[in-house]
Amino acid sequence: MDQSSLAATTHHDLLTEASPYGIEKKKLGMWVFIVSDACTFGAFLFAYGYMRVGAPVWGTPFEFSSILNGLVMTAVLLSSSLTMLTAVRASQAGAKASAIKWLGITMLLGTIFAALHLREWFKLIGEGWRLFHNPTGGAAQFGATFFSVTGLHLSHVVTGVVALAFIARGYSRNRYDESHVETAGLYWHFVDLVWMFVFPLMYLMNAR
Amino acid sequence: MSSNRELTMSSYVGIGAGLMLIVGIEVILTYQHLPTRTLLFSLLCLASLEGFVAVMYLMHVKYEQPILFWTIFPATLFVLFLLCYLLPDAFRMASMRLLR
Repeated sequence: MDQSSLAATTHHDLLTEASPYGIEKKKLGMWVFIVSDACTFGAFLFAYGYMRVGAPVWGTPFEFSSILNGLVMTAVLLSSSLTMLTAVRASQAGAKASAIKWLGITMLLGTIFAALHLREWFKLIGEGWRLFHNPTGGAAQFGATFFSVTGLHLSHVVTGVVALAFIARGYSRNRYDESHVETAGLYWHFVDLVWMFVFPLMYLMNAR
Repeated sequence: MSSNRELTMSSYVGIGAGLMLIVGIEVILTYQHLPTRTLLFSLLCLASLEGFVAVMYLMHVKYEQPILFWTIFPATLFVLFLLCYLLPDAFRMASMRLLR
């Protein structure tokens, strides 16, 4: 084998080297995004803890009705994770109609979660809570931390619903395959995972 | 860690119910009027348990190659842990506050 063909072979081998993780590039890319996003949420939650520790009086604004609302939101989001799993499994089994149906149900549950979330926001805003105003006279930072952390999570849910709509549309038109559905599912489960930390830290730790 | 035998859908429903049960325990603990630090520690432990189950089963890490787990999680947890480096400054702020 001469020098040029050896170089060409080596170059080809480099291009086709298998992933050390044994997963597709798009899935690995999603994992990298998830790690960076986990650090972002971690920083937001840390900032909340920092401000809470540093504030002389924090206050506990959430009545049981808000906790109950949060509990329903958690149940809705957890259910959506299960419907997303069903969609992924259906797509892997080649049951396209079923996969699209379950993706639709996941989007519906995501929309219900967002609506319940906005209802809680409007209730707080109606009581006089703002980004930098606490109507009970406690730490003004509560509004800033609550609306920013839950707002960041809400934006992830809304983005997820829109992304699922695109994936479902592309999958129904054969532009996307089951690996796209699986990668979108990974993102959706991450959104659910983040809520498992946001709910106890932002709601339960501020319950009356 | 890695296994080719995936769970059945009914097992996943069981996992979902288990996660919801943990959330229920969190709510019950909240209304036991525990000291703030005890409540925070309990809630963080339960949330971490939920997160671990979600990552391993819902996000399928249990069924991927172990190298994925060992590449991602120690580094991420270390970064999140390092954030706590700044926390003592919050206590300093609280103790430096001028009394009106």
